[in-house]
Amino acid sequence: MADKVLNVCLAGNPNCGKTTLFNSLTGSTAYVGNWPGVTVEKREGKYKSKEGLVVDVVDLPGIYSLSPYTPEEVVSRNFILEEHPDVVINVLDATNLERNLYMTTQILEMDVPVVIALNMMDAVENNGMSIDADAIANKLGVKVVKISALRNKGLDELMAVAAKVATTKREGKSFWDYGEYASKVDEAVAIYKKEEVSDPLFHAIKALEGDEIEAEKNKLAFEKVKELGVNIDEFEANSADKRYKYITSELAQYRTGAPVQESKKLSTSDKIDKVLTNKWAAIPILLVLLWIIFHITFASDLLYMHQWFGLELEDYPGFISFTLADGETYTPFAGLFYTGDGVNSIGEFFHCLAGDNETGILGLICLGIKQLLLMMGTPDAVIMVIYDGILNGVAAVVGFVPQILILFLFFSILEDSGYMARVAFVLDRIFRRFGVSGRAFLPMIMGLGCGVPAMVNTRTLNSDKERIKTIRVIPYFTCGAKADILAAVSASVALSFGWNADLFTMGMYVMGFVMAVVVVILMNKTTQREEVPPFIMELPAYHMPQPKAVAIHVWDKGKHFLKKAGTIILISTIVITMMENLTWDWRFIPAFEEATLEEIQALGYASYEAMEASSMLSSLGKVIMPLFTPIGFGTQLNSTGWIFGVATIQGIVAKENVTGTLTALAGIVGQNVEGLEDGDAVSQMFVATGITAGGIMGFTVFNLLTIPCFASVGTAKGELPTKKSYIGTILFWLLGAYVIASLFYLFTDAVVGNFGLVAGIIVPIVIVAAVVGSFFFAHLYDKKMRAKEALAA
Amino acid sequence: MPILIAPINQELTVKRVSGNDKERKHLESLGIVPGRTITILKATNNGVIVLINDMRLAIDRNVAMSIVVAA
Repeated sequence: MADKVLNVCLAGNPNCGKTTLFNSLTGSTAYVGNWPGVTVEKREGKYKSKEGLVVDVVDLPGIYSLSPYTPEEVVSRNFILEEHPDVVINVLDATNLERNLYMTTQILEMDVPVVIALNMMDAVENNGMSIDADAIANKLGVKVVKISALRNKGLDELMAVAAKVATTKREGKSFWDYGEYASKVDEAVAIYKKEEVSDPLFHAIKALEGDEIEAEKNKLAFEKVKELGVNIDEFEANSADKRYKYITSELAQYRTGAPVQESKKLSTSDKIDKVLTNKWAAIPILLVLLWIIFHITFASDLLYMHQWFGLELEDYPGFISFTLADGETYTPFAGLFYTGDGVNSIGEFFHCLAGDNETGILGLICLGIKQLLLMMGTPDAVIMVIYDGILNGVAAVVGFVPQILILFLFFSILEDSGYMARVAFVLDRIFRRFGVSGRAFLPMIMGLGCGVPAMVNTRTLNSDKERIKTIRVIPYFTCGAKADILAAVSASVALSFGWNADLFTMGMYVMGFVMAVVVVILMNKTTQREEVPPFIMELPAYHMPQPKAVAIHVWDKGKHFLKKAGTIILISTIVITMMENLTWDWRFIPAFEEATLEEIQALGYASYEAMEASSMLSSLGKVIMPLFTPIGFGTQLNSTGWIFGVATIQGIVAKENVTGTLTALAGIVGQNVEGLEDGDAVSQMFVATGITAGGIMGFTVFNLLTIPCFASVGTAKGELPTKKSYIGTILFWLLGAYVIASLFYLFTDAVVGNFGLVAGIIVPIVIVAAVVGSFFFAHLYDKKMRAKEALAA
Repeated sequence: MPILIAPINQELTVKRVSGNDKERKHLESLGIVPGRTITILKATNNGVIVLINDMRLAIDRNVAMSIVVAA
């Protein structure tokens, strides 16, 4: 075996522990979760034993049978049949033997060498059961190895057996009684053998079942089998029935001890389900859970002790304070535990601990870099660009990472516990009315963390149209990076317009949900019309979240964010800062701050301010400004209003850039911003640019709903079924956000009185009429199409 | 009777599965095959949660209407 690397693949039912086994074998950290459909694409890794055995291991998405139901299941079937692995390791959840053996009877019909891995043997033994592996091996004619992927037991033996089996030949065999169909099966197999199709028995049976993929892949043989005149529906129902009969009568006897359904594990799950899927309590419980998670992660007034219970605190003073060579005094950890606003939540505490470029650990690092630059005698202008521009931008984003990780920690605990599958079921009925099944809830809720994995997860959805609808609204679920924008903007609107920051933030989250519903309904009635796919989903047993699995997930997320901060965000910030400080003739603007008027005029600029106004960024910003006029932050603003446009364009690259850009550029326009906190600088900028409440509304809504980032554009391209739907999605993200933002802009300014009395009444009426009208026309269109379809049928 | 209106917490036998091909095949691979035993754990306005082959399965109303069982 030394000269050839062995190829094995892991195949089995969803949630049977394939990915846990894969991680244990290869030392990978692939995400494991307690609901069916976590793994949606195949993964490869390498296993090396002490004896020098090297094996390429492929982890496949879980499938219940080799008749695929959703797109990710096709991947598994095609891999086993077409990539010809040396050995298929059929992983079975030993606590659930009967159901898991169903697919085994199908795999054994192929000619490939098979090893059965009885996983979760530790759980079986804990339940007081035992399984006679040798007896099963004898019956099925393949090796059976007992393992526990979680406890790392039996894995080396499994791989050694796989290596041995790989050199043998095996011929496909059925383990169920063909009954009256025996002769037809033989004839079908003969046809496939004549056509020289590999795995003839497997394909012949699939053809007799009228399998769709079979009809496409082996057209000739399939047509010939069709001529045998077997009723495919009857054959198929019969084969399913007989397979189960075989399992129950021949194999189930080898499991002894208490059957699982009487064990404590299951009844506990059922008891929990009584409450969590209760008719009345289910949705309130979900809302309260979500509220608790967001509160613990984002609140700066824990349990509303300040706002509701009148707890009065002075800002926590911090424990270090020092004055640097530039003459400024810094207290990096001030406000770490509590501030005048209240006690910090855990998330807010970690946010403060990490800090921005003047507070927390990041602040200390940034100040260290600043000191180093001062010691090296770097000119003040350069220090300003590096410290206030680049470090400021990157630190603002990185400081937010711990908070996002805490959010992910809570989500992955919920996922790992088995709760999410229940929520999907509970929401199914409501979602169905809008136009998607409850299954779509899982990718949507993932979208609150990050849209990229959320879009990949839509592979578990049933139809292409359902996937398109879901992928399009995933950005409407405010992701971690967008939460950052909300935090910055809400603090500033509180100062400039006196709005309640908490309500504004929550309102914007809800705005996203509501718009998602509106848009799904409209799509379902017009371009993406379909019967909502059925909801059939396994509810896994609840279990305590496994610290290892949760930790892997959170760590992966953190790595991803830090990588992003070190690459795209760093580069974007450098580019923006440089463009802000350079003129088109490559003059470094801050270097002329101390220059005399004559010196500046000699270069062709009227004044220093004129020079600032003709920086690369500012002149480009003015060119794109008219684009944003209809959504409230274009030409109607003062000369510096282009900042919003630039921040928005930056946000299309990565949403974290919006906060970074706004914060960095706020300094240019705000008068007397020195010594003010970030929030103050941004709100001062609001005043300087003359943006209205409606303009802020338009800006926020557009940024929340438009193209989330380049990463998600790339993901959408890979996940959407056709080029047309991909282009449609990009246009939808741009135009949909544009229209909705424009409505919010006009409506807000009309209501707060910026448009005067007459327009203040007319505009809202027109907007409401337009919204109702679009629903009405979508409904008419739907009705017309239905009538047409009924006629055609 | 359709499983949606069948009595809960009682062993039932699957009699027939209707509905389209793809859906029926999926249900079959999950063990919902004529002749098999099935128990309804919970019936809600969303559909039913059933126990089949030691596995809890959530099924929406429409699908639940297509599974016919008998006591």
